[in-house]
Amino acid sequence: MSALPNIVDLDTQLATQSPQEIIRYALESFDNIAISFSGAEDVVLIDMAAKIGKRFQVFSLDTGRLHAETYQFIETIRKHYSIDIDVVMPEASKVEQLVKAKGLFSFYEDDHKECCGIRKIAPLRKQLLKVDAWITGQRRDQSPGTRADVPVIQDDKAFARPNESLTKFNPLANWTSKQVWDYIRENNVPYNALHDQGFVSIGCEPCTRPTGPGQHEREGRWWWEEATKKECGLHAVNIAK
Amino acid sequence: MKITLVKKIFADGSLCKKCREVEDKMRATGQLSQIDRIVIADEADDQSEGMLLAAHYNIDRAPFFIVEHEGADPVIYTIYFKFVKEVLDAETSEEEELAEIINDNDLDFL
Repeated sequence: MSALPNIVDLDTQLATQSPQEIIRYALESFDNIAISFSGAEDVVLIDMAAKIGKRFQVFSLDTGRLHAETYQFIETIRKHYSIDIDVVMPEASKVEQLVKAKGLFSFYEDDHKECCGIRKIAPLRKQLLKVDAWITGQRRDQSPGTRADVPVIQDDKAFARPNESLTKFNPLANWTSKQVWDYIRENNVPYNALHDQGFVSIGCEPCTRPTGPGQHEREGRWWWEEATKKECGLHAVNIAK
Repeated sequence: MKITLVKKIFADGSLCKKCREVEDKMRATGQLSQIDRIVIADEADDQSEGMLLAAHYNIDRAPFFIVEHEGADPVIYTIYFKFVKEVLDAETSEEEELAEIINDNDLDFL
């Protein structure tokens, strides 16, 4: 049995590295690699990659429901770094079917997953078929519980092309929100104007709200849904035998 | 080709919800007959075969499928619909595929 020791070893090795070192490793290892930019504080990935000076692609998932500020911010970043940003949109017919069947705010009555599936995950999957590796701004501290195990590098089995592999890098996995913001301030990185209005986490307009002092950023997203535990995780429990 | 299905049981002996749903679906469609081995990952026993396989392949969710071809590295599938589409040539709907991906992957902050 010899599958994936490299990824596991690499994760162990890269876990002690800085986000900049992880991004450098990613860009040097893959020519066909893209940064997923949500229009929020993951802008630091673009800033770090730009300073490394190697070629990289950037895409943003435009769900059609983003804040005006986010669209403006994506444009600001495109110009600031002189980069192309693939703004990826959902399939219009799928959105139309959803809206016709369930209205424009079905996520408040069901949950956000069906809408996210059509507006975000389907376009993401289509986009990831084009690359060999991708970089996200996912951090462990974003969703205590579900993200406790976000690795720095992983074999992305969900979005890989058939019979091929896709490598996913999460260079900010070990950083806290404070470290990200320290970087933004110290490096004068442009940021989304919504952050000055109390938004910590930024997603679609109907599904995002500002959070107050002491609130976790997860409380600013899908607040009407009960946080659900993912029961299919494989973690041995300590049971006295 | 040899296919192994690894499913998880909780410490109380119950089967995880998705494992149960997948197994039921595979049984109903006849796909289960194409599985050569079913292995248990016992949450209460980290030395159970399924837990050891999960650790070996660095898999953190269940169920998952190990597809082995002679002379080639095993291929692991953690997405049921991807597995049945690519390995068993079954027809799947995009809605089902997306639902499984979003349920099994923490993609909320992308």
